[in-house]
Amino acid sequence: MKNKIWCLPVFVLATFFGQTVVAQKTAVIGFTSVGRAAPLAADINEYPMVGATTRVLIPIGAPRDPNAFTGTARNGESPPGIEPLPIDMFSSKDFYKDRALWTDPRYFRCNSSAAMEDLWGGSGQGLIGDNPPLSAPWGVCDRDYPREAIVSPYKFATAQAHYEALMAETRQRGGPTKHTYATVPGEWSGVYMHPGRTPDGQYWYRGRHVQIPTVLSLLTPEYQTRFVQEAYHHGNTNAAQWPSQYCWPEGFMRRWHEAAVWEHYIMVTPDMVQIMAGVARNFITNIHIGREFNMEGAVPRLGADVPRWYGETIGFWDNDTLITWTSNIQGWKVHSAPEYSNFLQTIEIYTPNRDAAGNFLGLNHEAIFYDPEALVEPIRIVRNYVKQSGFDTGDPYVFIECVQSIFPIDGKATPVSPGNVIEYEVPDMYGRPWARIWEKYFEQGMEKQKEADIFSFP
Amino acid sequence: MITKRKISLALATTLAAVTLYGPTVQAHHSFAMYDMKVLKVFTGVVTRIDPAPNHLQIYFAPMNAEHNNVERDAAGEPIVWAVEMTGSAQMARQGVSVNSFPPGTVFSVALHPLRNGETAGTRQGGLFQCPERMPPAPGMYCDSVAGHIAIGDEPLALVAE
Repeated sequence: MKNKIWCLPVFVLATFFGQTVVAQKTAVIGFTSVGRAAPLAADINEYPMVGATTRVLIPIGAPRDPNAFTGTARNGESPPGIEPLPIDMFSSKDFYKDRALWTDPRYFRCNSSAAMEDLWGGSGQGLIGDNPPLSAPWGVCDRDYPREAIVSPYKFATAQAHYEALMAETRQRGGPTKHTYATVPGEWSGVYMHPGRTPDGQYWYRGRHVQIPTVLSLLTPEYQTRFVQEAYHHGNTNAAQWPSQYCWPEGFMRRWHEAAVWEHYIMVTPDMVQIMAGVARNFITNIHIGREFNMEGAVPRLGADVPRWYGETIGFWDNDTLITWTSNIQGWKVHSAPEYSNFLQTIEIYTPNRDAAGNFLGLNHEAIFYDPEALVEPIRIVRNYVKQSGFDTGDPYVFIECVQSIFPIDGKATPVSPGNVIEYEVPDMYGRPWARIWEKYFEQGMEKQKEADIFSFP
Repeated sequence: MITKRKISLALATTLAAVTLYGPTVQAHHSFAMYDMKVLKVFTGVVTRIDPAPNHLQIYFAPMNAEHNNVERDAAGEPIVWAVEMTGSAQMARQGVSVNSFPPGTVFSVALHPLRNGETAGTRQGGLFQCPERMPPAPGMYCDSVAGHIAIGDEPLALVAE
């Protein structure tokens, strides 16, 4: 649902940054491609947040309006015109049993996934009310970002087919371009603004504009369960298990999370394009130009048969557009976003954004995600990087070492001071350790699906 | 009973392992926590591969004497051991990876256990993967099962009896 009230904050933001606003548009490429730059079905910047939240869409760290509220009811009240379900996520003792209700936004009181993690004060003022979790607030039930704007507009079943089609198209256009140090687009090299602070920089994966059932409709049954499991422990039990709070790996998909990657540092050479970003962990994307994947094994890869936290990436140039394929990714999670599997692969296209005079402004980053284990169909995220400087000014990239200071104690994230002695259960890092904590401390008695018995041999 | 042949074989495989893995091993941590004078041979069921970039770990539940289930503690839970390999990339090139050793994989390996008695050790000698869901007969190891996969060129290290 569009809401032109948002024109005002957009204008304010544009003024604040004093830069050209790059809305959530796809790249301008001058031709109709088989697999890139297809228009978005909806520009999320024209949509209001779902809520329930006190956030307003301002840059991270900017002051908030303490009276701001996006939602329809709070402190246990019901919104006018909405009939609550007899049981919902905040009153349920076993969300697994409620599967038939998951398709109804009212089960989540119409909260978006990002709003859900904020309810107890996950990132600022809480809204959970005086009798939590029953007093949880309601978002706006008739707001939602359309599913058709989330799924891939391209009809490829695999990343390989997508990449090969883009390669064939590029060959028809006389490419792929073999750049030298003299021709490689050096204007790319430099520092790009925090995507979460980019004016008009919303995209659906940030989780504030989409109803949870819409996200669930993208997922296979197992990954639906996982998504609801996290929502339940955000909103009901207040037991957030965000990987970086424990210095666990961030994981590949956190490249698209507003809190995980701030400024991006991009360096371009003829053989390698490197993108660095990070806050709690280092995200280093090395794009190997002109290389090909080893196609033997479970998934395409460049190196050994070892899933890598941030995958392995190959790519080629079509003039000044970079087309990439990433595979061999370690499955993991992002809080308030779906989990993903080791079969996740992406096609990512980086296209220069220019003003009317042809001046380089930054990069359009279009990513299409293929994960047959987690997704029922491929999905897409489009965002823009705004270049703010070269490397000759500003703060240098800070390489991060995460030293753990928060530990799970009785299932809750707890800062522990040096010298204190705690009982610590070593996590099974490749067995959804966040879920093991929830199951041990908050899901006793729930009817979850039993795991296969691998120890019996008849 | 310890025979000269078995002692010679153990020394030879130890020397080979040190030669083969030594530089990698020295790069990350001391192996002095393991008792190199003690050797244990297991057939176990993989519970998890941890492809840590320094040294890959296989977590496994040793099979019971009948080889129809695994050894369990007083609470009935599987007893889990860890066997430390070399780096994950090097092990993947030998055929041990997250993809080739999923949970439930049955394999046989020898290891030098920790000095403190905890359930972990460092690999010694060859490693043998049984065919899927086909453990060896009681008293036997995966190298006796038709269709097994040998990891590395060495035989299964023999324990001093």
